[in-house]
Amino acid sequence: MSNAMATSPEKHLTARGFCITSACWMAVATFMGLLGAIELVAPDLTENLGWIVFGRVRPIHVNLVLFGFVTPGLLSAAYYFVPKLLRTRLYSEKLGLVTVITWNLALVAGVATLAAGLSQGREYAELIWPIDMAIVIAFGLIFFNLIMTVKQRNEPLLYVSVWYVLAAALLTGVTFALGNVVWQPDSGALVGIPDAILLWFYGHNIFGLLLTPLSAAVAYYVIPRACRAPLYSHTLSLLGFWSLIVIYTHVGTHHLLQVPVPTWLKVVAIVDSIAMVIPVMAFLINIWYTARGKLGEVHADVGAKFVFTGTIMYFFVSIQGSMMALPQVQRVTHFNNWVVAHAHIGVLGFAGMIALGGLYYVLPRMTGKPLYSRFLADLQYWLVLIGISGFAIVLTIVGLIQGNAWLNGETVYRVLPEIHIYYITRASLGVMIFCGALIGLFNIAKTLLAPSGENA
Amino acid sequence: MNMTPKAVVIGSLMVLTAVVLSVIVLPYADTSKTTASDIYRPRSADEAAGRKIYIANGCVYCHSQSIRSIDWGLGAERIAQAGDYIQDRPILLGSERSGPDLSQEGGEHPDDWHRGHFTNPRYTRPLSIMPAFAFLGDAAIRVLTNYVQSLGFKNADRRMARQRRWKKSAVTAYEAGPEANVKWLADHVPEGWRSVPNPYPTSAAGLARGHKIYQDFCLGCHGPVGDGMGPAQPHLYPPPLNFTILKGRGISGGILYYQIMNGITGTAMPYFKRELESEKIWDVGDYVAVYFINQSDANGKPRGIDAAYEP
Repeated sequence: MSNAMATSPEKHLTARGFCITSACWMAVATFMGLLGAIELVAPDLTENLGWIVFGRVRPIHVNLVLFGFVTPGLLSAAYYFVPKLLRTRLYSEKLGLVTVITWNLALVAGVATLAAGLSQGREYAELIWPIDMAIVIAFGLIFFNLIMTVKQRNEPLLYVSVWYVLAAALLTGVTFALGNVVWQPDSGALVGIPDAILLWFYGHNIFGLLLTPLSAAVAYYVIPRACRAPLYSHTLSLLGFWSLIVIYTHVGTHHLLQVPVPTWLKVVAIVDSIAMVIPVMAFLINIWYTARGKLGEVHADVGAKFVFTGTIMYFFVSIQGSMMALPQVQRVTHFNNWVVAHAHIGVLGFAGMIALGGLYYVLPRMTGKPLYSRFLADLQYWLVLIGISGFAIVLTIVGLIQGNAWLNGETVYRVLPEIHIYYITRASLGVMIFCGALIGLFNIAKTLLAPSGENA
Repeated sequence: MNMTPKAVVIGSLMVLTAVVLSVIVLPYADTSKTTASDIYRPRSADEAAGRKIYIANGCVYCHSQSIRSIDWGLGAERIAQAGDYIQDRPILLGSERSGPDLSQEGGEHPDDWHRGHFTNPRYTRPLSIMPAFAFLGDAAIRVLTNYVQSLGFKNADRRMARQRRWKKSAVTAYEAGPEANVKWLADHVPEGWRSVPNPYPTSAAGLARGHKIYQDFCLGCHGPVGDGMGPAQPHLYPPPLNFTILKGRGISGGILYYQIMNGITGTAMPYFKRELESEKIWDVGDYVAVYFINQSDANGKPRGIDAAYEP
């Protein structure tokens, strides 16, 4: 790195790239979710439009939320704070930009192929082989860029956020390749029961090894800084980090308790699902005790407000998830909208809220400009919060109706009219979340594009 | 503990390796040797092509192929076994059941029912929220139907053979004219049922209930006025029954009840005994008798003891 560059103001191009990536795809992803919700209410509204038939809209929605909105949002913050925490610059902004472009090309290709009916048919692993490879390469580039940044650091100690980001990029690169069975380019799948076991190992690790560690990294960065307080406990950071990697990776088979897989594997999944309380509470106690008595500071920064709300959602979704792994609970909750509610609390309520919080926290700091509108950010906060809370309530009710009706001997067809009104409510709440996404996109784009004093 | 970059990177990779060995590789050693179940047979090329259409259109997001031990209410005659899935790449267990489980769907309905249903599911199932698949085109719908009809393997094959056997007689009866058709329909109802009148008197409340059931379950094929000209009619052969031809041809409440309960295998008429409780079947039968046949034997002789709720 030349001397001139070392002293020039940092532009954080990679962080900005992932920031606008996240904001744009959040709008598309939530629109696809809304479209799917409307199709469940009025199935003939999109009749004869094969490329947006529900079965294609749903994987587009899910993949875009996971890989278009939440992951880039969290990465944007990470690309900003990892060099900061290491008192250095990002190893290569050029490589970072290549990563952003690769990532976006993969997303565009993902939407196009899924809409065209090119799917491998495995949840969270639908994308075809070339796109899988692009994503694996992107994770490799992210890890390489960050580990090289670590190498050139001027700060000897690695802060907990850095551990989480490094582990997330590395372990997700590996599990993504494994879960998508990249050595079988045609099908991207194993055969029979082993395929189910691998799929849910992978599927659950998208949350366990990607969204959760990246979200934890952002929370560990934002909350102590916003509170101007030291982190409560280094020991709890260690416990949370290692127990997350050890325990979370075991739980995937709790999706298969009703399926003929080996019983010992189910027992492992149930026991470790309960043991998830350890990493969850280690993280939450650490964050909450750091913020103890300082909620005023958290509230004063809209980014920190999003992040803190995300940690509360994490509490609910994790306790719920542990409960849902109990066979007696799962008799009711399995195969129905209870799980859809759970997934939305986790991905939007926890990881999505923290991704938005990370964006709003780092955006003014990396651009050197104030946020375009604090009011719009607050408005988005409430739209998303009311939307996700409503989702959780409405879809949980639907799940209870479905699960209990089935146990009571009612057929699926008979239950459809009972849940129709809740599907309408869900679609209405989806409008709020989509509006929140549009407002966020506007706010973020305005901030990024505003004429700059410092960086012009 | 000093968290050096090496500790983070090598440590987390070692943990992941250990976990993959224990929860992926170890069970693989066992589950990859699963042998075929008693109903298993290989799929034909056509059925495999239909499965590809099923995957491309995301059917798996709403339809499970996994009958659980707790699924007694879904008509589970057989709980899924590991040996059912040994040629499934990928396995399509599903994760959410917006529509019914399909692992034993083969032979539940004849092919023409499926073609009407895929064209627009509300043609055969008025309350369905499944998307219309007419955009796939007739050829693809045919292939997809072949896949669905293979679900359940040998059990499905037996059910399909039964559908084909009875379809032949149903078509012959239909083509022989209304008189012969009605006789054929009634002749297959067991003797005991034929002589039973609808045991409940016709009432405004009963007719209102019957009307609601008819709209939710029957209208797609038999049409709003019971003439068999519902939107599914162009897809079905023999076509849905025109109820008006039943007048004066010895129809009893018991015959209507039996046909609604048990369906008429070989035709598009499904059985409704898993969806409608006894009272609902009597009510919709009387609704058809009163409004479309204009001839009801409700509360006629022989009569049992009146039910306790009757006024």
